Amino acid sequence: MKHGAIAILPLAAGAAVYGFAFGLLAAQVGFPWWGVALMSSLVHAGSSQIVAVEQFADSAAVVGAAFAGAALNLRYIGIIASLTEVLSGLSLRAKLLVIHITGDENWALTMSQRAKDPQIGVRFLIGSGLVMITVWTISTTLGAFVGSTLPNLEKFGLGFAFTAAFIAMARGLWRGHANLVPWIASFAVTIGLVTLGIPKAYAIVAGAISGLAVSHILRDRRKRAL
Amino acid sequence: MTFPFWMLIIVLAIAAFSIRVLGLFAGDAIKASRFSWILDDLPGLIVVSLVAASLANQSVGTWLAAAAALAVAYVANHVILTMCVGVAAYGGLVWLGF
Repeated sequence: MKHGAIAILPLAAGAAVYGFAFGLLAAQVGFPWWGVALMSSLVHAGSSQIVAVEQFADSAAVVGAAFAGAALNLRYIGIIASLTEVLSGLSLRAKLLVIHITGDENWALTMSQRAKDPQIGVRFLIGSGLVMITVWTISTTLGAFVGSTLPNLEKFGLGFAFTAAFIAMARGLWRGHANLVPWIASFAVTIGLVTLGIPKAYAIVAGAISGLAVSHILRDRRKRAL
Repeated sequence: MTFPFWMLIIVLAIAAFSIRVLGLFAGDAIKASRFSWILDDLPGLIVVSLVAASLANQSVGTWLAAAAALAVAYVANHVILTMCVGVAAYGGLVWLGF
């Protein structure tokens, strides 16, 4: 467990900076520091939290914000499924606790270390996960605490930080040229609908569904071409 | 903290944990199903739609700042660096009157 806790520290430092920035933004939206602490410890999903808070700031619509945030977390179905062997032998209660403290960073580190050394397993995952959730909760809380003492940062361009964060997330999710046409479709549909006056929450869902439809058509064509 | 703030935290926490539990019990079956491509594609499409919604009806300066952020993201693939450059570009362009 200690091995995992130490090995994850460089990645935890990066998450702390991101967490602090998220806390600042959440405070500007109106979340108190203890609300951010509660969210970080209960949700424990950085990109989901930042998306949900931005959507919430825009419309205060809980369902739309939670949908957008949760959709971004769908990758965890695959991440957790890949841990079947690592988690085998644990009680159900322990499994539920471990999957909550599993995030992108400690999952990736555990899997890469396990590929080199099969002895690396659940204890490494738990040690690194405990460090990550602790660092994430503390850094976001600190960010919110500092953010609540600052004036309205919107006029200094802080609102654009959300847009820049989404652009960076998109870069991280880019999987190659196969994404290009579906992404253009999503982008164009969303822009078109918002320009027509459709509320952003609906436009985002419609944009994403349009992209899925285009992706489906392209996959079908590729299959037929084979 | 008002009721909607509490609701957002609770609903998001339940959704995030449910997705993890789904991965624990049905992840292998979902990954093997013919719908697994949706799991791969949807996160990116949602994020692209979020970027589009943020840029719709915005000034030229905002689009230029987004282009600068995209260039940094493309080269560096680093969230914090992209946010810093994006905000700096946005502030600079607003200051220049864009």
